[in-house]
Amino acid sequence: MTEIKNAHFTTLQGAYDTELMEATLRIRRWDPDTQRARFDTFTVTVPVTASVLDALDAIKDTRDGTLAYRKSCRMAVCGSCGMRIDGGAALACKTPMKKFVDAGHTITVSPMGNLPVIKDLVVDMAPFWEKIRAVKPYLDTRDEDVPDTEWRVAPEHHDMIHKESLCILCGCCVSECNSMESDPDFLGPAALAKAYRFVGDARDTDTRERLRDLNGAHGIWDCTRCYFCNQRCPKGVDPRDAIAKLGAESFKEGFVRDEGARHAKVFVDSTYKGGYLRETELVPKTIGPVNAVKDIPFALQLARAGKVPNPLSPHKAKDNDEVKRLWKLLEKEAKGAERPRALHPDAVREG
Amino acid sequence: MIRHDVIVLGAGCAGMRAAIEAKRRGVDVAVISKLHPTRSHSGAAEGGINAALGNATEDSSDSHAFDTIKGSDYLGDQDAIEVFAQEAPNDIYELEHMGAIFTRAADGKLAQRPFGAAGAPRTVYSADITGHVLIHVLYEQLVKHDVKVYEEFFATQVVVDEGRCAGVIAWDTKKGGLHAIEANHVILATGGVGRMYYGTTNAFACTGDGMSLAWRAGVPLKDMEFLQFHPTTLKSNGVLITEGCRGEGGYLRNKDGDRFMVGDAPNAMELASRDVVSRAEWKEIADGRGVDGCVLLDLTHLGWKKIKSRLPGSRELAIDYAGVDPIETPIPVRPGAHYMMGGVDCDLWGETIVPGLWAAGEVACVSIHGANRLGGNSLMETIVFGRRAGQAAAERVLEQGDTGARIEPGVLADEDRRIAGILNNDQGERPGVLREELAKTMYDKAGVYRTEAALAECREKVVDLRERAKTLKLDDHGSVFNTDLTNALELISLLECADCLVTSALARKESRGAHSRLDHTERDDETWLKHTLNWCDDGEVRLDYRPVTITKHQPLARSY
Amino acid sequence: MQERYAYYPGCLASLSQKELDSSTRAIAQKLDIELVEMPSVTCCGAGDIHEAKPDYYLHISARILGQAEQMGCETILTICNVCTLNLRQANKALQEDPALLNRINDNLKEVGAATYQGGVDVRHLLWEVSEGNGYEAFKGIAVKSLEGLKVAPFYGCQILRPSKILGFENPDSPQSLERLISACGAEPIDYPAKVKCCGFPIVLAREDVALGELVQPLEQAVEAGADVIVTPCPLCHLSLDAWQRKAADFAGKELGIPILHLAQLLGAAAGIEESELKFKRHVTRLSPEVKAKLQMPSVIGTEA
Repeated sequence: MTEIKNAHFTTLQGAYDTELMEATLRIRRWDPDTQRARFDTFTVTVPVTASVLDALDAIKDTRDGTLAYRKSCRMAVCGSCGMRIDGGAALACKTPMKKFVDAGHTITVSPMGNLPVIKDLVVDMAPFWEKIRAVKPYLDTRDEDVPDTEWRVAPEHHDMIHKESLCILCGCCVSECNSMESDPDFLGPAALAKAYRFVGDARDTDTRERLRDLNGAHGIWDCTRCYFCNQRCPKGVDPRDAIAKLGAESFKEGFVRDEGARHAKVFVDSTYKGGYLRETELVPKTIGPVNAVKDIPFALQLARAGKVPNPLSPHKAKDNDEVKRLWKLLEKEAKGAERPRALHPDAVREG
Repeated sequence: MIRHDVIVLGAGCAGMRAAIEAKRRGVDVAVISKLHPTRSHSGAAEGGINAALGNATEDSSDSHAFDTIKGSDYLGDQDAIEVFAQEAPNDIYELEHMGAIFTRAADGKLAQRPFGAAGAPRTVYSADITGHVLIHVLYEQLVKHDVKVYEEFFATQVVVDEGRCAGVIAWDTKKGGLHAIEANHVILATGGVGRMYYGTTNAFACTGDGMSLAWRAGVPLKDMEFLQFHPTTLKSNGVLITEGCRGEGGYLRNKDGDRFMVGDAPNAMELASRDVVSRAEWKEIADGRGVDGCVLLDLTHLGWKKIKSRLPGSRELAIDYAGVDPIETPIPVRPGAHYMMGGVDCDLWGETIVPGLWAAGEVACVSIHGANRLGGNSLMETIVFGRRAGQAAAERVLEQGDTGARIEPGVLADEDRRIAGILNNDQGERPGVLREELAKTMYDKAGVYRTEAALAECREKVVDLRERAKTLKLDDHGSVFNTDLTNALELISLLECADCLVTSALARKESRGAHSRLDHTERDDETWLKHTLNWCDDGEVRLDYRPVTITKHQPLARSY
Repeated sequence: MQERYAYYPGCLASLSQKELDSSTRAIAQKLDIELVEMPSVTCCGAGDIHEAKPDYYLHISARILGQAEQMGCETILTICNVCTLNLRQANKALQEDPALLNRINDNLKEVGAATYQGGVDVRHLLWEVSEGNGYEAFKGIAVKSLEGLKVAPFYGCQILRPSKILGFENPDSPQSLERLISACGAEPIDYPAKVKCCGFPIVLAREDVALGELVQPLEQAVEAGADVIVTPCPLCHLSLDAWQRKAADFAGKELGIPILHLAQLLGAAAGIEESELKFKRHVTRLSPEVKAKLQMPSVIGTEA
């Protein structure tokens, strides 16, 4: 047989060479049949480049095939493998094992929080999807006037929703949301970030209705600002910031009736009036005079400790006229500012 | 018995586009997917989606078609490619109207960038996360149209009843148990099969299930030997670093710092067609000029501004999975199995030879990509042909109504027994062991460069593995979320697809596109300008051939 | 730790939480730190102005930072988590975006207010005394060992998260309060909710939700055997202290655990007196036993 030129090209030598290490994981198991939890600890040999997900695969392949978890892309884009690693949600595929191995630390892996557990590390995502669906998560444009080509959108307008558009719906934010833990009906960081993605989209025409819905119960103003979502998000979405932006849009559109919005207004008004927060106005203006009256026993408690400042002579800052002028200047600017709008190509051609 | 007019199997871009189209046309459509839709691998696509919009420079769908035909090394069916290129622009505009967030030029129009082997910059993109943007906009439309999804259902059989497709039998992963879901039409949109190979860009889920299901149901697979290796994947886990990095001006260097592409593609250099680049790299590494089994993708001259704005995803991947910041350090990369040009034989509406069974997207082989695919064409294919399949199936429903095909109780019972046999088995080898053996064998012996001897050894191993896979040891015999079972079923699909690939590769004694034979280095149009077909003869691969459709462009020598 | 800071106590410390201000001044004096008064500042706006009027928030923050700069101070010292996050967040935006800073400065100039050139840092007292020379300095003045006192640290969200703005310590496993508690001779008590939210931002608008959060650190600290909880944030303090009765009713159990401001704990260890620490301003009273462990002599108005 004639010798084939470059026959050695078929195989890359050392294609699988890699340094190995021993990794130990303590995993919370949940058995759906017995409805019982337990912890299993495994030590497996994995490449030094291994992620937590790779370690789980090694365990499932070689030690215990009953271990259940979700996975797919292994590159932090599909959002399947959200789970708690040492108590905080993260993507298993984006968490390297090496730093734990180097520190001699056994990680504890458990399912994401705030969602029911189906088996081991698999949670029921149905409540999560429901909340996403609840914010009308699709674009609403002027349907009677759809252009033949693309809507014209200035790059800086799309930039406004850039972070929110990165969301991979992994659930890590929801897992750690302190408000949702206390109130499971809270829409939550993922749904609210998704909502801002549309409120802030220059092509969407349903802004007012969206904001009206989001200003209701379990919406924007239920966020406790714990910032766990920003901290845990593996993609830099910053859901808390999106919620704040929804609050700003609500103010712009005049949705200021919710207690949370009224609470914010006291801070704004206080800086104008005297610089400092007028604490004594906070309660009645937030929860309304009737509820404030109901809370008088509570207020008396505070008063006894000397915690109720004199409402008649509020603490005033020096030179606060600057602030008054500043406020007026900015309000004037804001009145003139137009909401970012996508342009119809016909309008561009004519204009 | 559950019944729908149309079932779409798979919920990536092609599947969702098909389902949305069918729903819009008023038929009862349901999607079955082994993953939640947004988890599908379409979401990992990075670089962009091609259409001759002419936003960046002058362009035409003729030019797009020609580039695709030449890129396919003349194995693509030209009538289908012409339709593809003509319909692409409207499909892009429609995606934008749906809400897709694309990168914009200063004038607010869709930006377009250069991509491999394209005559004009026609790749519409969203930084380097285009697939993510598309999968989310399509999911949003799925929600808007309130399309029913059987989520985390694993299809085990496409049922054919008296020659007609009757529906799907699927395992409910969340609760356990098989369900027969009848339909007048089934559209396969299950994606690719990269996991046959050790070094692959593909997700764990890309295991060729739909290809196997079609093959077993009597549809031939076509051109399976043409598996594209993407030039820039990471060694640690195969993750894709987008062609966009080269599109924005990145260089490929060997261990001496040389831009070695000058040897194989002096004009296009790093932006030559993927098969050309992968071969050049593989050769560089095999010949000892690599660095730790890789070549270097150098972006350091692009500057941090460009990298942070245009390629932020790639930067993050390089940091997370290769431990380097591309602003300062070149990224070590090597070729990885990326895209199956071959697949389920179908026409340009997605129809297969089995009435009622359709295919669209990577699972299908129309053929748009022939022997090699251009970057940016795969995403476009999912949209154009997903839409067309959805439309055609819906129109067929409105014309014909109930096809009369049924899933007989006996069929479901037989399938139940088959699955139970796998589920309850605790003898033999673990699926993971066989999966790794297959993957390494394929990467070593059926990779970028192939020889008769290597392919023959490979085939022997695949046949052996197929035999051993008849007895897979499961640890999990339970019903709830049993991924030990689904892993086993996926392994069987991988092996069947691998058998088709290697058998076809052995037979094709020429080099064309992504199929590169060291013992037959030239393209041989006289003998081999034809598609390979793989029929399933009782589980064995039977080879057959079919001519390529040529309209305007006679095959020419292909160089970049 | 520095010798001189622009002092930004924030609104609560100036009013309802005055005891925090007096304790801080006393501790600063013992540490030989000069606190430069900032008479013309506004409220930082809390999360509220940041949310409702983001552009206004950036302006008033720039004005505050600018005033510190013009007083020749490199660092603003805060004693509230929310002020710290708010000012640092604005500072980062202003420092990273020259076009933004220019626009804001133009507006500030127009109204006659101080402009900002980007040269100020904002740091919480907790950071200044829990490491480096500040820690050594504190150990130097901690003359009274609070041995026998079990202290549960409650960090409060906005001194830890988001770490890309705060960045002082690992938000999942912070240690600064524990270090200081030990430096006081007391015993730090660990419990899971020490890094969770007290609910203050929504305690008026959504009281039930806030109480569901608030009960967690209170219950857990009590169960872990803590005598007191210490916190670096006056808003958390108000929640934990003033809303404690409501939390106890919500939980259906007795709590009765006094809450200390960080400066009060440090002050007790430094031998500062009740007249400045002002425990009597707490809603949840300190028992004589706790007072004793704090090395505080029994004084007027300290009945349990």
